Amino acid sequence: MNRTALIVGLLISLPLLVFLGLGFRSDPHTIESPLVGRPAPGFELLDLTGRTVSLAALRGKPVVLNFWATWCQPCIAEHPVLIRAAERWAGRAHFLGVIYHDEESAIERFLERRGAWGPTLVDPDSRVAIRYGVYGAPETFIIDVEGIVREKVAGAMSPSQLERLLSDASRGAAS
Amino acid sequence: MASSLGQGLVLLGLLACALGVPVGYYSGAARSAPALAWTRRLTLVFAAAMAAATAVMVVALLRHDFSVSYVAQVGSLATPTHITIVSLWSSLEGSILFWGFVLGAFAAGVALLQRTGHADYLGYTLATVLVVGTFFCFLIAGPANPFRPTPLPIPTDGPGPNPLLQNHILMIVHPPMLYVGYVGMTVPFAMAVAALLRGQLGVTWLRPLRAWLLVPTGFLTVGIMLGGWWSYEVLGWGGYWAWDPVENASFLPWLTAIAAVHSALVLERRGSLKAWTVILVLVTFLLTILGTFLTRSGVVNSVHSFTQSPIGPLFLGFLGFCIVGVVVLLSWRVDRLTSEPSTSPLVSRETGFMLNNLLLVAFTFTVLVGTLFPIVAEAVKGVKVSVGEPYFNRMSVPICFALLALMGIGPALPWGRADGRKLRRALLWPLPAAVVAGIAAWALGGRNGWVVWAAALGGYALWVAADQGLRPARARRRGGASLAAGIRGSLRQIGGYVVHGGVIVTFVAIAISANYKESVEGTLRPGGQLELADYQLTFDSVALDQEPHLTAQRATISVTENGKSRGVLVPALNFYPTMREPLGTPAVRTSLVRDLYLTVMNVSNDGSIGLRAIVTPAVAWIWIGVLVMGLGTVLCLAGAAKPRGSAA
Repeated sequence: MNRTALIVGLLISLPLLVFLGLGFRSDPHTIESPLVGRPAPGFELLDLTGRTVSLAALRGKPVVLNFWATWCQPCIAEHPVLIRAAERWAGRAHFLGVIYHDEESAIERFLERRGAWGPTLVDPDSRVAIRYGVYGAPETFIIDVEGIVREKVAGAMSPSQLERLLSDASRGAAS
Repeated sequence: MASSLGQGLVLLGLLACALGVPVGYYSGAARSAPALAWTRRLTLVFAAAMAAATAVMVVALLRHDFSVSYVAQVGSLATPTHITIVSLWSSLEGSILFWGFVLGAFAAGVALLQRTGHADYLGYTLATVLVVGTFFCFLIAGPANPFRPTPLPIPTDGPGPNPLLQNHILMIVHPPMLYVGYVGMTVPFAMAVAALLRGQLGVTWLRPLRAWLLVPTGFLTVGIMLGGWWSYEVLGWGGYWAWDPVENASFLPWLTAIAAVHSALVLERRGSLKAWTVILVLVTFLLTILGTFLTRSGVVNSVHSFTQSPIGPLFLGFLGFCIVGVVVLLSWRVDRLTSEPSTSPLVSRETGFMLNNLLLVAFTFTVLVGTLFPIVAEAVKGVKVSVGEPYFNRMSVPICFALLALMGIGPALPWGRADGRKLRRALLWPLPAAVVAGIAAWALGGRNGWVVWAAALGGYALWVAADQGLRPARARRRGGASLAAGIRGSLRQIGGYVVHGGVIVTFVAIAISANYKESVEGTLRPGGQLELADYQLTFDSVALDQEPHLTAQRATISVTENGKSRGVLVPALNFYPTMREPLGTPAVRTSLVRDLYLTVMNVSNDGSIGLRAIVTPAVAWIWIGVLVMGLGTVLCLAGAAKPRGSAA
């Protein structure tokens, strides 16, 4: 038995295995948002009917802020999930859609056919999307009762995921 | 029905492997012929079970049998038939099943082709292959089971495979080639383990080991190239290699395999480097398992990686078992693999081989560090970092140039001791080729130092390769053999130097394409034009095509070159129901001189498009060079299959 070879071999390989194992602790595909845990950037936007919606005025109930577009297939898939959640949480949470790189007319036609789940906000020059660091659609920010961003979800949400996020956000900072 | 049949076959394979391992090791230790015969039978049962299980899956995919979970996951009635077959390796579970099938084919190959002789090594070899087989069968039978019945209600249609795999014909050949290369490394690994367990590595065992090493190396070479080609034709960024972790994962075992092929040559010729060769072969296999782990576990982010899956920890466990096993086995037995003492002088071909090995190992280490650094940094400091192209390029360019120089100088040097006059003659004789190639590169407009140097070193190495490759055949001719017989008798050497020729062509082409790329971007309305390097590109129109599995926006671009019409190119943006972002399909006009590469970046509602055009010279020669490498490998194997005559 060549002890030196054994010791050197194990000294090189075991730490490598440990490091590889530690890699499981996080998912490299997620791009964490620096906003999570911080106050949500405020905004005042007009919705499709011309009413002004201000984020600050919604404090006290959780907010689902969803950036979406009609050209985006996962947004279309997510649409019924949001409709159902908005029904279940009616009066207990706010649901806001923000148009992301899309035409107002296309959005209106889409909503006529499939129904709306909340006010749809027009974001001129994508200023709000930029402040939220949105890089694709759909992206959803869950803002809790105190106005803190609790979670960012990239891609379509499942009904159970949205339910869980809303329950967490409605409990406020204590949860 | 298909579910139960598939699961039954996988369990049969698992049983055959699990039985074959102890029987095989016993047959090796006890030199028992009946036990070896049983090991062979169990190996064939394993191979047959894997082949049959894969066939069951392919039939289920073709019949759109959504009661099988994997078919429900990747199948779709809208997918064309050839893409449906590709779905076999488009997702995790199916790719592991396909892996098992390839491993079975290699195991059966060893059991059937190595029938005569080597009885004392063969039991250990088959048993080791079956250890790997046991692990894969276990994965297929349990955590990565593609045959699981779909929970009720059974869907009437599925989402179809990953859109990236539906985009190009190369996806049909690239993954299988790479898998054959990866999985095939199990055989030389098992043969090296057998040599360690026997405590002996004679030339009689080295020859089959080298041949079984060459086969997967050849496939890996072509598989890596096809991956680069696919990336170039599909991903739309105009490049072919991005030092992506998964690209690196395939490149690492290739580097050590190339080193092993060369050190095995020295071992065969001089009897030295025995332990070193064995270690390289073992490391090559470990790197394939590391690569598989990186791809399948989801610990790195890459275009290729599958999502995080429960088999990641199992793969890590297997990697740990293999690494620790190899370390223990080496420290226990490596002292028995005594080489003949080296008596070579400093300036000799042996030294050339040693340097080549050291450079390749340094290259491996460099790429390995760059690939694993993000994982280590996150584990230690909790920060996400990525090691980008600049690191890899800065480190690899000098190593590659040194390798290219050595590819000329090494083979030019004589074996063993030689007097100064002979040495000078050997080294100076190819110099005119270097000068001519360097001047030619300059005359053709090469004003970049790297490119001129690449051409000069390439010219030198090409001359040496042609000279050395034909030398044995010429010697045979002088001995009275016919030209055909001369070539037939020295196929191995010719093949080896043909591979060198391919490497040189690829290298110079990479140097040119990396240094002379031009690109332009612009927003075009119909009738609008872009100009780039003698090309005038006119945007005619954009059309929306609805197909069953995708919606495509195709832009028609008329191309003229110096006023002459070169037809139209149709780059597209494809929208798949399962993707967040559209996928671009570039349109490429390839010629031997340069490629014109067009991608649509976006299509606006007013009918204008964002177009990117890239002109890259010499890209076609990269693919040609790699195909020449593949051809050379085939010649080597053809030569290795024949008994060896007198050497050069």
